[in-house]
Amino acid sequence: MRVRFAVAVLLASLLLVPSGGVGLAAPARDTLVYASDISDMISLDPAVAYEFSGILVAQNIYDTLVAFEGEDLTTLKPRLARSWTIQDAGSAWKVTFKLRTGVKFSTGRPLTAKAVAFSFDRVIGLNKSPAFLFKDVAGLKEGDTKAVGDDTVEVTLPKTASPQAFLSVLTFTVGAVVDPDEALAHQTGNDRGEAWLRDHSAGTGPYMLERWDPESRAIMVANPNYWGAKPKLSRVVIQHVPETSTQKFMVSAGDADIAANLTPEQAREMVSDANVKIQRGKLLQLVYIGMNAKHAPLDKVKVREAIRTAIDYDGIVRSLLRGEARKVQTIIPEGLFGFNASAPFQANAARAKALLKEAGVGGGFSVELLLPTGPAPGGVKWSDIAAKVQNDLAKAGITVKIKETAQAQLLNVYRAQKGQLVMILWGPDFPDPDGNATPFTDYEAKSIAWRNQYNDPAAAKLAKQAALETDLAKRRALYKRLTDRVLHEGPYVILYQPTTRFALRKNVQGFVWNPMAFAEFKTVSK
Amino acid sequence: MSRYILGRIASTGLVLVGVSALTFFIAHVVPGDPVLVALGEHAREDQIQAYRRAYGLDRPVVVQYVIYMGRLLRGDLGVSIRTRRPVAVDLRQFLPATVELGTAAWLVAMMLGIPAGILSAIFKDRAFDHLSRIAALIGASMPVFWLGLLLLGNFYFRLHWFPGPGRLDITIDAPPARTGLLLVDALLSADPIAWGNALRHLILPGLTLGLFSTAVVARMTRSAMLEVLYQDYIRTARAKGLSAWRVHLWHALRNAMIPTLTIIGISFGNLLSGAVLTETVFAWPGLGRYATTSAVSLDFPAVVGVTLVAAVIYTLVNLIVDLIYARLDPRVRYD
Repeated sequence: MRVRFAVAVLLASLLLVPSGGVGLAAPARDTLVYASDISDMISLDPAVAYEFSGILVAQNIYDTLVAFEGEDLTTLKPRLARSWTIQDAGSAWKVTFKLRTGVKFSTGRPLTAKAVAFSFDRVIGLNKSPAFLFKDVAGLKEGDTKAVGDDTVEVTLPKTASPQAFLSVLTFTVGAVVDPDEALAHQTGNDRGEAWLRDHSAGTGPYMLERWDPESRAIMVANPNYWGAKPKLSRVVIQHVPETSTQKFMVSAGDADIAANLTPEQAREMVSDANVKIQRGKLLQLVYIGMNAKHAPLDKVKVREAIRTAIDYDGIVRSLLRGEARKVQTIIPEGLFGFNASAPFQANAARAKALLKEAGVGGGFSVELLLPTGPAPGGVKWSDIAAKVQNDLAKAGITVKIKETAQAQLLNVYRAQKGQLVMILWGPDFPDPDGNATPFTDYEAKSIAWRNQYNDPAAAKLAKQAALETDLAKRRALYKRLTDRVLHEGPYVILYQPTTRFALRKNVQGFVWNPMAFAEFKTVSK
Repeated sequence: MSRYILGRIASTGLVLVGVSALTFFIAHVVPGDPVLVALGEHAREDQIQAYRRAYGLDRPVVVQYVIYMGRLLRGDLGVSIRTRRPVAVDLRQFLPATVELGTAAWLVAMMLGIPAGILSAIFKDRAFDHLSRIAALIGASMPVFWLGLLLLGNFYFRLHWFPGPGRLDITIDAPPARTGLLLVDALLSADPIAWGNALRHLILPGLTLGLFSTAVVARMTRSAMLEVLYQDYIRTARAKGLSAWRVHLWHALRNAMIPTLTIIGISFGNLLSGAVLTETVFAWPGLGRYATTSAVSLDFPAVVGVTLVAAVIYTLVNLIVDLIYARLDPRVRYD
């Protein structure tokens, strides 16, 4: 009797186990599945999006007037504008764009110069996260962009703004052109279509948005009205997969074509998978230590030089990060115009001690190093890098007290100029050297230089001069002078420039990661 | 009885006020600035100030609380600092996925835990009992995160028995959202393909999340059953010649269920609020992940919103459990 009962209960429980053989639903031939953590996606409106995943989608559904293509962030290419000129108009810069003809929005309406003026004014009027690129970097106000006829756009920039930096800003989603009629047709109150464009699209890009389910997926389909070569894949699914091990499973199983957030270990494990290839992507971030230039003894240039001299950069890049980064010691990252490859510092404890002695702190000193919790770019924990720095500096007689704290709290301390040594990262807001040069050198810009109480008017002046220079050879020379100066006098230890990595199914071709942290899917095939 | 229910519902209101106050002030004690988190490191001072003003964060905390409570009483949960959408909209979006997952896990716990507990008690100190107790120990101590990856790695990746992460295959269109519960929505729109696919997607995360509760329910059922099985009325029932089925399932289980029920009720609340790791591993767009991301971003309107939902669920489940007590045990009366 008992046995019969037991069997009955077991059978009932077994009902839960499904019959085997559920097939994997591999994505269709014309669909690309891109597995990534998209929990930061809050809007796909190009005037609002300023998060990595929002920008990734917006870059593919909208076009900009000019663009940097592939990995090259030094040569501007025409996009919606077929040509452009920069003119010194006395009291202002006049940047004139001639628009490509025959371009239509995904809505079917033609692209006009008025649409460009509307889009630029819209960014300024809405004043969301990316608006500072127009307002502060380019010094634009509503009305400064004018349509002259149907195919000419004239932008008037104040003389204080850099025309080159403005063109770089225009490659970013903030410079995307939206269909004004569509945006206004869906206007709520005075929002110029902001609420609607959050999860709809009205652009001229190769794709248009089919749907976005927050924390789940965003689906793009080919835009039938696209002016350029038809995208090779007609559908792109950006699938939200927050856990990187799960991303790895999905690519190995063929359920995803690209995994975007693998750790270095996971990427190494996948090398043996015959169906998968690993591809590196460049980034423009710099991982650095800011030294508070008003906090004794960091206020002495030689003490800061001693710290830079003592650190074992090669050890960090080779042993800790296992090659997931490159050694960069100047404030403009590799990949941007004006990069200075000079890297004179490498683990020289004797020289560091001598410098400390010259600075009058031969007996060493103690200092606090503030760093965020969690993983740093490149895949290791911030605390591991800090431990390495602590060890290197100890050899020069400097005692480092490590203080790990949540990033939100760290920023509070850093922004209040209360850090001593602060380890953190910086990525430029737009792909122009000025996106780093001004924050790192201009105290008045209230950015990194200000946080580290580094007030060097000569450096700030050089940065300004370089930003405004329109002659590229002269501009390059100015950035060389500036980066050399900050390399030795500034309050920064630039530790490394990280790379990122992707796992791709073997059949995926044409995927190129733009160092500004997005990819154009129109070139991808499989 | 109805007076009792009304009283309990009224006291739930007080609990919610307490919970919201506590969460609100805890969220404000935490160092760090939600605006900096929302706008990022590069934000300029004027943007930060404008954002603070827009969300009323420039006022003293007490004033913020009064304003918040005023809105809350009108049913307005405020706007999330991170997603910049009304919290109520976010909750409506993310709660159903978690309810579906939590219910699946809860069913797993009931359907595996109760039979295992009963059999363990009947076969006390025999092979099945030892096996089930070891399994329960492992189930209760295994990290959810690891278990999830283990199940995914084996049953999805190696054996291909189950689909991968997410609520539906990428190739399948979601049925029109009416309740947000995919299984229900698929039924309402008579879409058997989506229904079957959603069900298959639910099994691995359901097992992952449900295993801990299965272990707890199994252990509780076992000890409750053991206590009952040696009582005089069971001996009498056996002496009367009743079948083992009838004795165990009718006479013993019914009484053993009373303490077990409390555990089942609490575990349902736990499943809904504790799903974050399972949701992360299985890319499940639910409330657990929303809560964690919000907490990390110091997004207190969202955190308070989630806490209130969790509080409502807990109090409702407790109320239901109390009511079922009365059905199971005629000695329990609420008047």
